[in-house]
Parts: sequence; C-alpha cells; structure tokens
Amino acid sequence: MTRTLVSPVCRVVRPRRAGRYALGLAVISAPLVLAVLGPVFAGGPGARAASFTLGDGHWFGTDFVGRDVWRQILLGGRPVVLTALAATALAYLVALPLGLIAALTHRRWLEETLMRPLDVVLAVPSLLLILLVASVLTPGAAGLALLVALVNVPDAARIVRAAAAEAAARPAVEALRMQGETWWRTAVGYVGRSILRTLAADAGIRLTGVLYLVATAAFLGVGVAPDAADWAVMVDRNRTGLFVQPWAVVVPALLIVALTMGSNLLFDAALHKPGRRRGEREPRP
Amino acid sequence: MTGLRSFVTRRMLLGVVQTVAVVLLVFALTEALPGDAAVALAGDQPDPARIAALREAMHLDRPAYERLAEWAAGLLHGDFGASVTSGRPVSQYLADGFGPTLLLAALTVALLVPAGFGLGVLAARHEGRLVDRLISSLTLAVYAVPEFALGVLLVTVFALRLDWLPPTAVGYGTDLLGHPAALLLPVLVLLSRPVCSLARLVRAGMVDALAAPYAVHARRYGVGGARVRYAHALPNALAPAVQQLARTIDWLLCGVIVVEALFVIPGLGTVLLNAVAERDVPVVQGLAVVFGVLTVVLNLGADLVAHRLAPRAGVAA
Repeated sequence: MTRTLVSPVCRVVRPRRAGRYALGLAVISAPLVLAVLGPVFAGGPGARAASFTLGDGHWFGTDFVGRDVWRQILLGGRPVVLTALAATALAYLVALPLGLIAALTHRRWLEETLMRPLDVVLAVPSLLLILLVASVLTPGAAGLALLVALVNVPDAARIVRAAAAEAAARPAVEALRMQGETWWRTAVGYVGRSILRTLAADAGIRLTGVLYLVATAAFLGVGVAPDAADWAVMVDRNRTGLFVQPWAVVVPALLIVALTMGSNLLFDAALHKPGRRRGEREPRP
Repeated sequence: MTGLRSFVTRRMLLGVVQTVAVVLLVFALTEALPGDAAVALAGDQPDPARIAALREAMHLDRPAYERLAEWAAGLLHGDFGASVTSGRPVSQYLADGFGPTLLLAALTVALLVPAGFGLGVLAARHEGRLVDRLISSLTLAVYAVPEFALGVLLVTVFALRLDWLPPTAVGYGTDLLGHPAALLLPVLVLLSRPVCSLARLVRAGMVDALAAPYAVHARRYGVGGARVRYAHALPNALAPAVQQLARTIDWLLCGVIVVEALFVIPGLGTVLLNAVAERDVPVVQGLAVVFGVLTVVLNLGADLVAHRLAPRAGVAA
C-alpha cells in the first residue's frame, strides 16, 4: 500500500468507531447495571460483623464498620450516577436560556452583562470552588449537584452562545424575522432546534467531566455522609484497611474507573460527527 | 505591531479584572452564604455564648464591606489574616505546604510536556495505524478517570501486591526529594489526565497541520519528512496545545489536592483539606486566592504565548 499524502482518516473511521462503541459499551455495562438495578437486589442490612474481615458469607468481606461490602456496592452506584445526571441537567437548565438570550439579543450591553461574569467563575479551579463552599456549608447530595452544575454553567453557556450565534446568523432567521414570527418561535423553534446536535455532543463530554467531579468531591467528603453507601466514599473510608481487606477498596475503585472510562469511550463513539476533529475541545473537569 | 500591543493590553486588563473578581468571589462565597462561619466552627452543640465570642473574634459582627476592604487591603501587601483555629498567620500555612506541592507540580509539568508532545506526535506520525489507535484509545479512556480511583488501584498493585513502592509518603515529611520511590506513584497519577488531554490535542493539531497544503507542498519540494514534521507542522500544532497546557493547571490543582490526600503528602492540598474540615475560613480564603490568582496568571501567560505563536488564530480577549 502506497502512503498517500491525503490523510487516510476517512477509510479507517468506520470500523474504528464501531470497535470503540463496543469497547465503551462493554466497559460501562457492569457499573451501569449495578447502579440501576443494584438497590433492587440489595436487600435489608444484615447484622454487622467485625470490620475488615473476609469470608463468613460476605462475598467481598466487610467494610470499616463491619457492613457487607457487596451490599454497599449494590447501593453505592446510584448516588454517583444520579448526582452526575442531575448536575448536568441543572447546568443546561441555566446555560441554555443564558446562552440563547446572549446570542439572540441585539443589545450588546445585555450580552456582556450575561456572559462576562461567567469568565470569573471559569478562572477559579472547579474543585476549589466546591471546597470553598464546603468550608462554610455542609452541602448534601442536592447541594453537591447544584455546586457541580454551577461550575459547569460558564462553559456550557459559552458553547450554547457560540452555536446559537452561528445559527442566528443564517438567512433563515432573517426570513423568520421578516415574516413577523415571534421571538419565541425564532429562538426556540428554529435556533434552539438547530443547535441540538452540538448540545448533545457537549452534554456527553460534560457528563463525563461531571462524573469525575462528583466522584472526586465525594471522595474528599463533600456532599456525602461519612458512612454513605457511595462508591467514592467506600474507596476513601475503606483505605485504612487496604492491607487487610483490599476488596472493599478495589471493587468500588474499579467500578468508578469503568464508569468514567466507559462513558467517555461511548460518548466519543456515539457523538462523533464525520469531519469533526476529536479532542478539539477539552471539557473542564 | 500595534495590533499585538493592543491585544496584550486588553488581555492584561482582563487578567486584572479576573484577579479582582476572584478575590470578590472567594469573599462572597465564604462570607455571604447562608451558613455562618462562627456557627459552623462552634460545632455540633452550638453554645450561643461561644458563637458570639467566635463572631467577635472573626469580626463577623462588623458589616461585610468593612471586612472585605480590610481583607483585600491586607492581601495587597501579602497579609492573609490569621487562622481561627490556631491563631497562626495564614501565610505561615502557605509557606509550610508550598514545598511539597511545588515539587509535585514541577515534576509533573516537567514530565507532562515531553510525554504529552511525544505521544501526540507519535500518534500523528502513525495516523490510522495500530500505534495511533492504541494511543488514541488509551488516552481517551484514561483521561476521564478520577485520580483517586486510579491511584488506589496503582497502590494496590505496586505497593500491596508487588511491594515495589511505598504505598504513601507517610514518615518522609517534607523531604520528599530524598525518597524518589515515594514520589513515583503520586507523579504518575497526577500526570494521567493532563498527559492524555495534551497528547490528544497535539495529535489533532499535527494531523491537521500535516494534511495542510503547505506541508504537502513542502513534501513535493522534497523536504525531508522529519523536517516537515518538526520544523513546519509542529509549531502550528503548538498554539492550541499551549493554551491547553494552561487549562491543565486547573486539572493539576484538582489532582494535587486529591493526590496529596491519597498519598498523605503534607502540601497545600492537605492544608486546604484540613482547613475545610476544621472550617478554618481565613486559611481556606487565603489558599483559594493564591490558587485562583495562579490560574488567572497562567492562563494569561498561555494566551499571550499562543497569540505569539499563531497571531491569526484570534485568541479571545
């Protein structure tokens, strides 16, 4: 095969995509199934045994307070996934109107007042912002979702604004305006619909970043009870017994790795638009 | 070069505004939130007398703008205030944690640049072939993984199973450089995400640059492959990567906090986490300002460098 000067990317893309799709699905299936169905099969809390023991009817032994690790694993996926989903949805709930208004308004001062303050939040490292709030408040799971959403709003609003500004500059919008269509119909009906694809791609990337942040915050003890059934909390709390009973740490850690890895592989494969470079825009963690 | 000068001025101005805004934001988040630092500090059984005493000690009984003015004035000449729990000046906390964190960050950045660029160029060179597919998949997979999960697994394998490396840096204090084995895992974990993102960016930039007409043209003239790659394509792939490098600072900061907690390294991240746990607001504020301003300055620097490298790209200011 002679090496051509034109990039051979077009030929390889298809099988590569399919392969990555399968890989992503395979990696994410275990943690996802556990997160969705785990609590159904968890059953009631058994009697507490001694902490960090192995065997004695416990598949993966017991944790730092003597609870069954397998049951904690069954229960611990849902909070991570739910908090991440809620945070992503919340971020868009704020970013979508913000970005749309900023893109479609013809008043420059309005655009500036909406978008400029966001640059500030962008300047503060995301985990720092969360820890800052955690030093004054004790945010619960809902609070953590809100915080993670807040951290993600600036970037999401920028993406929405950029995509919407591009769509709003099209002749079709001019035509709609001349026909006397309402602002709502132009903004939501046309511009909103035409940026859906960009948003879907961004939401996928964002969800992966949000998963990272939610898990890391939980590991550092923000937004979770110290004995919560949560994979990240399990990794943190059971670390003291790593030498005696590694399963209580290794299994939840592996599940978090699989969850984040799989979601990234999957979204990359699913949302790849032919001709668009991957890795073009990196999300904030 | 008036265009360049006006860009630099505008970008610097934005940096100043951002710095001021970071200070305001840190103050607002810790002081104006519904939670009261004094109540939070008083613990589980809040005693009204103790709360009142704490409030007076922290000057919470004075209006917020007065406290802000005083705090900001102190910041200007390096006075970060004093810790509420120990009474020691915050700057002393900063000085204590600075060494290990700087060592970690410096080592990571020193390895990040060659590793990221090397992997990116290697993948772009073999674009579409096995090497590229391996690097692309691996970087894509690893870059979303939280440091704590990866770190704990690495500790299990290398410290527990194989017994090659120490599991934590406990017992080495701040003298980490004397124990390189204890540094290996922390730096590796800290590198994992930034290397992946940088490698992907360099690869994408290189692939684009190598397919650009000027690269094709250079090859047609018989310019050697290596020269086209490194003298022509790489500089053009560099501009987006430099900006990403600054954005990586955000990741490194998150990573440093987690890695220090995981490997028990007494750096700024540990100081921050302890202060958060003890609700020592002045220390948290001081650290947040330092980290925030650092991020602003590094992003500013990266934008200026990127603008110098590729003036046409129009770096947003």
